[in-house]
Amino acid sequence: MNKDSFRQMVEGKIVLLDGATGTELHKRGIPKEACPEQWVLEHPDVLREIQSEYIAAGADIILACTFGGNRIKLKEFGLQDRVLEFNRELARISKETAGAKCLVAGDLAPTGQFVEPFGDVKFNDIVDVYKEQVQGLLEGGVDLFVIETMIDLQETRAAVLAVKETCDLPVIASMTFDTSAKTLTESDPVTVLITLQSLGADAVGANCSTGPKDMLKVVELMMPYAKVPIMVKPNAGLPKLVDGCTVFDMEPAEFGQYAVDFVAKGAGLIGGCCGTTPQHIKRAKENIAGLKPVGREPKPYRALTSSRRTVFFGETYPVTVVGERINPTGKKKLSEELRNGKYTEVRRLAAEQVENGAEILDVNVGMPGIDEKKTMVEVVKLLSNVVECPLCLDSSSPDVLEAALRIYPGRALINSISAEKSKIQRMLPIARKYGAMFILLPLNDEGVPEQARERYEIIQNIISEAKKYDFENSDIVVDGLVMSVSSNQNAAEETLKVIRWCAGTLGCATIAGLSNVSFGLPERGYINSAFLAMGIGNGLSMAIANPSSEMIMGIKAASDVLTARDKNSLTYIGRYSDGSVEKPKKVEPKNNLKTVDKINQSILEGDRENIVDLIKEALAEGAKPGTIIDGYMIPAITRVGHLYEERKYFLPQLIQSAEAMKTAFDYLAPFLAGDRESSGKNSPVIVLATVKGDIHDIGKNIVGLMLRNNGFTVHDLGKNVSAERIISESRDLKAQIIGLSALLTTTMVEMRTVVELARSEGLDVKFMIGGAVVNDSYAREIGADGYAKDAYEAVKLAKKLTGQE
Amino acid sequence: MKAPDVKYFEHIPVEPNRNLILARLGYRKGITAISEKDNMFIDAAVKRALLLCNARGAFCRSKINKRSANKVVLENGIELISEKLSAFLYHSSEVVFMSSTLGREISDTITGAMNNGNASSGLVFDAVASQVVDTALDWMMSFINKTIKIKGKALTKRRFSPGYGDLNLYHQKVIYDILDLKRIDISITEKFMLEPEKSVIAIAGIEVSYE
Repeated sequence: MNKDSFRQMVEGKIVLLDGATGTELHKRGIPKEACPEQWVLEHPDVLREIQSEYIAAGADIILACTFGGNRIKLKEFGLQDRVLEFNRELARISKETAGAKCLVAGDLAPTGQFVEPFGDVKFNDIVDVYKEQVQGLLEGGVDLFVIETMIDLQETRAAVLAVKETCDLPVIASMTFDTSAKTLTESDPVTVLITLQSLGADAVGANCSTGPKDMLKVVELMMPYAKVPIMVKPNAGLPKLVDGCTVFDMEPAEFGQYAVDFVAKGAGLIGGCCGTTPQHIKRAKENIAGLKPVGREPKPYRALTSSRRTVFFGETYPVTVVGERINPTGKKKLSEELRNGKYTEVRRLAAEQVENGAEILDVNVGMPGIDEKKTMVEVVKLLSNVVECPLCLDSSSPDVLEAALRIYPGRALINSISAEKSKIQRMLPIARKYGAMFILLPLNDEGVPEQARERYEIIQNIISEAKKYDFENSDIVVDGLVMSVSSNQNAAEETLKVIRWCAGTLGCATIAGLSNVSFGLPERGYINSAFLAMGIGNGLSMAIANPSSEMIMGIKAASDVLTARDKNSLTYIGRYSDGSVEKPKKVEPKNNLKTVDKINQSILEGDRENIVDLIKEALAEGAKPGTIIDGYMIPAITRVGHLYEERKYFLPQLIQSAEAMKTAFDYLAPFLAGDRESSGKNSPVIVLATVKGDIHDIGKNIVGLMLRNNGFTVHDLGKNVSAERIISESRDLKAQIIGLSALLTTTMVEMRTVVELARSEGLDVKFMIGGAVVNDSYAREIGADGYAKDAYEAVKLAKKLTGQE
Repeated sequence: MKAPDVKYFEHIPVEPNRNLILARLGYRKGITAISEKDNMFIDAAVKRALLLCNARGAFCRSKINKRSANKVVLENGIELISEKLSAFLYHSSEVVFMSSTLGREISDTITGAMNNGNASSGLVFDAVASQVVDTALDWMMSFINKTIKIKGKALTKRRFSPGYGDLNLYHQKVIYDILDLKRIDISITEKFMLEPEKSVIAIAGIEVSYE
């Protein structure tokens, strides 16, 4: 069977598939722990019987019993080297049984592994796993393929590509959806449909999942966009556990009624999954007798997908902003990170652009001294995980684009394909293979024509070439190609003509990179924004822009209202009704306070940015350093402590105040000699350490900060410190207190070692301990002098142990 | 002994609950007052920390062969010695071992902030990371629940970790080896601590679902 005859078959009648094979095998005695493929080959008559019953019930397509026939699944039984044999023989048995009565589909199913970018298994390795199985099934003579029960869109893509790269037979791709109509990895039905039908699946659908009732929703969601037939293979209801066994108890009569509902909703291929029997299929057959497939009338759409989201755009949709910031040109930090294989800046730019309203992210990593292909693949994998929006893959290298398209788990936008011979011949087949949309760049080997009418000709030539690969106008986005108005003042108008002509005459979506237009001019934001508004007025669909620009995003939002693309102005109202634009930052009023009171206030508020300036001002006004500390800073930090105790402050506020205090102390220290009464006194010395074997020390660090701010001299020895070093350093430093921390039960025992060593060496020192697993009683047990549950308590305890309270 | 079938996630999509992050920092609703400035500081720190957290994970299932008052014996002969865990797994036929980790960058950033006089940011980073690593386990449990729901089963509502109750921390090493956690760049010290610091191991049970 070829793809055309498959299409004709499904358009001519409702095609019936078989029901569950696993359920039937269990009824016929397959042991629970057996490898189904192996067992069936050892008991071929059982399979023949089951399949004959399905054929008799009316199935037009039966599935070869190869659900777990891939290398990874067979490995669980040590049978990974028999993939070709198993698949060939199982397909052969099914073909013999089917004869001329029905078709046989090779059955591909999940490998059970998680594929990159979501999991750690290489995408191409999974493609190869499926290819091996496909090869065996082809040798056995299957007529088509059904990829079923898939939980992850990326693994489904791998299976579809494996079939496409091995043969020209039709392939149906079916995923499982939960009651919220999402796959296990959060893909929705529309995203699944658009991604897989773009990739070349001949039918898309849902199987297993829930019962028929919930699967109707999936069909309803898919149908408006379905360019290919929809397949359903629901379970016989929802699973129930009876006597330790999972059962599905929907009767054939009820199941058969749902078959009618599925036809009415538009499904063209109907079968059954877990729990269904030949009787279920027979009842479905009887009920749909005489019914014809509902003609699919998919809405013309322009859509890109990630694995978790579809973004529609074009005439009736608001202008789509493609975030331009992931591009190393002129970005030193991003360039450095990409060169060093780091991606924190990519993540930051992605998150920032999405937050600011970008619906698609352009990804360009081209720069000198970098392996662009490797970097592009890494960035695409990263972004596919960390953002939900689709990607626009931007490179001048066909190799880079092909690698990125292969790994991208959705339907991407290629930026771009021009009429340059080396590009168009290479890129169109690649774009077709991976189902991508592309940005058409109206330039050729001779460069960019200045006049719009010359660009029209190039655009038509590229479209005509693209149609040879079955592209439709709705798969293409034309770039108006903006040149700088500073060198040619008619450049903008020529681009606008291209946009107008594409949107009107051609019916193509259009895009423009805004920033070129203003190159060489001051205050470029005004030019860019005005050009955006003019572009939208002429039918522009997408803009490659910086979504952080409030002016750009504001003009876009306003234009969407004025062109009626923002229905009922809801987005605009949502964006601006709270007056969030350029809201002036609230300034804390401290002006009516005396300078020393402002210092007090700064400690209370944890304002370390301004405290040094305030101290300088107070000193200039004649305040003495000791007075500033004792009269204003200490009371403030004491008040902070009380607020913390009362839970009116929480930890970040306590620590910010401590940091402001430290900043102030550090500045005042040189002024203190001879001024402050207490300056001549030796402050108590505390040695802090996280004990040997323990590496968690954030709590100890906070304790250190708080102790310093309360007048203690703190020597922090760090983490994983031996008892010998703690004792030795404490002796040398004449410590009055040793503070020990430990997080775990395995390391807290080391505290006892330290205490015992100190006692055995006659060191006169107090011990305080802290950490998640210790408490007062443990402190007493090991001979420590106290336990503090947090940094604030640690200060109080230290004061008590040194006789300050 | 059959090798456990361990699944690895290269990225776990987590959006930690802001209120839980604040709670980790000692915030008490209706008592603690946060100014606009504090809110801005916290939001910026949370945003920065989230950029540095790349949640990865691993899990596998293992059948329970035998359970006594203080011991759970698994199909591969591994014994988990703990009365509390045994009680926790009372209705379970299988255990799920899980781990999540955030990578080194966030831990290094927390340390850097603490050492460079920016402890308040370090604290928030730390709270965010702790919440993210926990949320990653929640996500994994939800994921596993979806896969076993069709069999009429569900995970225990809570999870257990080595170090809880009487489950000795050395079980951390046992599970570390089962999950082969070096594949997601986690190492374990001789005192059974996981590195990077923001890494956790947990155990849940698989039970019959009554929903």
